[in-house]
Amino acid sequence: MATTGSSGRVFLRSLKTFRRSYSFVRTLPENINCAANIPATKDFEVFPNNESLIRRLHSSPTSFHRCCRHHHSHHHHGSQYCTPSKYQHTGSICPSAEPNPWCSIPNQRQLSSTSPQQLRNMKVCSMAETDPYKIVAKEMEDLAPDICKVLEVDVAKMQHMSQYYFGLGKAFRPMVCLLMAKVCNNHLNIGDDVLESQRSVAMVAEMLHTASLVHDDVIDAADERRGLESLNKKYGQRQSIMAGNYILSKATMLLAQIGNPQIISLLSTVVEDVISGEFMQLGSKEDENERFQHYLKKTYKKTASLIANTCKAVAVMSNVQEDLVDAAYEYGRNLGMSFQLVDDVLDFVASKQAMGKPTDADLKLGLANAPVLFAAMEYKELQPMIMRRFSEKGDVEYARAMVEKTDGVKQTKMLAARHSDEAIKKLAEFSPCPARDALARVSKILLEREK
Amino acid sequence: MALSSRQFVNICKRCALRINTDPANSSLLSNSTSPNLKFYALLSHAIPIQYKNNSLMRDKNLFEVSYQMREYGLWGLGGKKNLDTAVSDAEKIVGYPTSFLSLRCLLSDEMSNVALHMRKLVGTKHPLLKTARGMVFDGNHNLQMKGLFVMLISKAAGPSPQDDFVHEEMVSGVYPNQRSLAEIMEIIHTSYLIHKGVVNLESVLPEHGPVADMEFGNKMAVLSGDYLLASACRGLAKLGNPKVVEEVASSIADMMTAEFTNYTDPDGKQMIPQSCQGFSDWLKQTYFSIGSLLAKSCQSAMRLAGHSDHFKNMAFAFGENVSYAEQLAQDIKPFTSADELPGLSLTSAPVLLYRERVPAEEFTNLERLWQEGPANYHEIVSLVLKSGAVSYCKELLEQYRDKAISSLDCYSESEAKSALVNMVNAVSHVR
Repeated sequence: MATTGSSGRVFLRSLKTFRRSYSFVRTLPENINCAANIPATKDFEVFPNNESLIRRLHSSPTSFHRCCRHHHSHHHHGSQYCTPSKYQHTGSICPSAEPNPWCSIPNQRQLSSTSPQQLRNMKVCSMAETDPYKIVAKEMEDLAPDICKVLEVDVAKMQHMSQYYFGLGKAFRPMVCLLMAKVCNNHLNIGDDVLESQRSVAMVAEMLHTASLVHDDVIDAADERRGLESLNKKYGQRQSIMAGNYILSKATMLLAQIGNPQIISLLSTVVEDVISGEFMQLGSKEDENERFQHYLKKTYKKTASLIANTCKAVAVMSNVQEDLVDAAYEYGRNLGMSFQLVDDVLDFVASKQAMGKPTDADLKLGLANAPVLFAAMEYKELQPMIMRRFSEKGDVEYARAMVEKTDGVKQTKMLAARHSDEAIKKLAEFSPCPARDALARVSKILLEREK
Repeated sequence: MALSSRQFVNICKRCALRINTDPANSSLLSNSTSPNLKFYALLSHAIPIQYKNNSLMRDKNLFEVSYQMREYGLWGLGGKKNLDTAVSDAEKIVGYPTSFLSLRCLLSDEMSNVALHMRKLVGTKHPLLKTARGMVFDGNHNLQMKGLFVMLISKAAGPSPQDDFVHEEMVSGVYPNQRSLAEIMEIIHTSYLIHKGVVNLESVLPEHGPVADMEFGNKMAVLSGDYLLASACRGLAKLGNPKVVEEVASSIADMMTAEFTNYTDPDGKQMIPQSCQGFSDWLKQTYFSIGSLLAKSCQSAMRLAGHSDHFKNMAFAFGENVSYAEQLAQDIKPFTSADELPGLSLTSAPVLLYRERVPAEEFTNLERLWQEGPANYHEIVSLVLKSGAVSYCKELLEQYRDKAISSLDCYSESEAKSALVNMVNAVSHVR
């Protein structure tokens, strides 16, 4: 009972934040007030509902005449709602006199009318093009060796298998986590250093992520990971699972040593979310709208939850006030969503460039990712294929062709860009510092990454 | 708030689903358990959860009936009267078995999903099926007992010595968080059993059936094991005690260690490494695979109630020694009872003690016999019996049993304590 109550409160709070950050909401007519369309469950469902709401309202192609001039130029046939420009916050903001009631991106006038302070803060991302990794280089340097130290044990094979992947990946999650820690510490003038406990959370983030990768590779029968032969290929499935569990248990111990029950609770939610996201991936929904909801919820649980909750955890530890803890969480959530959406796009695009032929890893695993779901909105014949998980001959090729025919990839990119923008907006609540600029850059770089 | 008919139908549906996952021709069912009986057993398992949820034991009759079904209908088969009586007496002392966290897990959407998919596994040789059957039909009370030990020792230790603890929180003398801990431990153990059943696809032989089946079975095993582990993590976090989280997590690490010592090969088959140190290695292996979890859980149960370090240490010693005694009893069984012969293990205590007693070439001979398969088990048993290793094992068993019982000395006499002693005697009983 208590859980429902608190999630209800969280929802209300997030609704308020939502209203605050989307000034356009106020311009919507009463009867299509967003709030009425948002199911009172979890805050991450705010976006898609609004999306489908806009889609429904725009079912006639003439409707995009109502959009502002700037955004109009970005419109293409088949995409019925406004395209957010990725340069939106860098100064080239829509000069239109008429605000578009349907467009989710606030234009300059709306921004300046809300808060000049906020507008100034938003320019952060046009600032110094520093490498985000550089700012936390000191903290990142020994991250992998320190994790390996945590995993030390006098059973040689288990130690080797559990340390196998560390120091090879991008270490994206700990980097975001450490940057967020700096942003929060700077906000309270604690200093430029990251607390030892915050660094532990960064380590736990990487460990949990790696443990889930090890198990994922067994489930998906992947042969390669981080440029190496995957653990399951090299040492067999059985001991890989055990090694993954070992990493998880050591991460839990490291977490417990911080000694803060709230942090433990946050990270245990991550573990639960990751596995329940994995389960959600097993099924899909018949109904079109529900299916997209299902996809977004899965994406939150599988990818965004880890980033969001670790950002929240470091914010909690720096002791910033509650609304900033929420902002940190929201930054992480949006970043995570954007990250996964770009991943989905890359599944279609990068494979083609890198290998000269498409690989469509997701489709082959029977997973309908965002571009396919967008394509299925136009081509209903994809629906039975989604339900049977592209298991029949020719399904994968057909789905691929449909994605190319529609602008599923583009729409996915747009959604990713929106989450990325939203993430940057959340940073405005913190006082400026190099780490904050770096986080803003992270969110932008993500959209352009090719790997 | 009584059990609504809709809830009831839902539970029935889910139980039915789960029962269908059992192949009708399994060896289990020939053990005189009808599917119907099992259905009731599951159902009776399901009903008390409603009582727990609204914490009103109003319809006591229904509770009692369902409870008895569970005791006598499902678990009370075979000649394990001692153990059965000890377990059912113990359950009465702590009120109800555990916090039903595992049942909530079983009734979750995720597990229903797995159950649905598991139908596809019926008829294949994937070990997950056997593990799943073991969860429903646990003839040795293995799972149940582990939780009971933790709850009984919690009750035996009594209420917290600190004043700020509220005694009214206790149900049948056990704090709710201790009850949760007992359940978390059972869940962790179950997930370990499930993950142990993951098959190396490269080692799949043609007689095991298609590789695709095994791959699918692995997928289900990994997912369901992970789900249980994640539930355990969540449950641990809810206890709100970082030290307890650390202790229990370290026992998970210990369990994983057991899979990498050279006493099992990468496929999980038993073997004896060159570096074998004899019985001390057996102790280590037993501690890692089962002892650590029970010992650290008992210790954490003391910590949760704020008991003294002495109580914690004694609880740890109890869990550790009980595990040794229990494992010794299990290891000895194939040597004393023909029915248990298929359970013979190369890494069992009598074999390792045999190795210490005979010249190297004689042991090599035994290893060769072992490799040739179950047809030679009789010969192995008679070789080991002749060496006197088994009777020495029995002496060791008595020592560990007595150690376990004497570690309870710090607790004052109570029905919980005598139930513990009864259970220790029951699990370490060999003919």
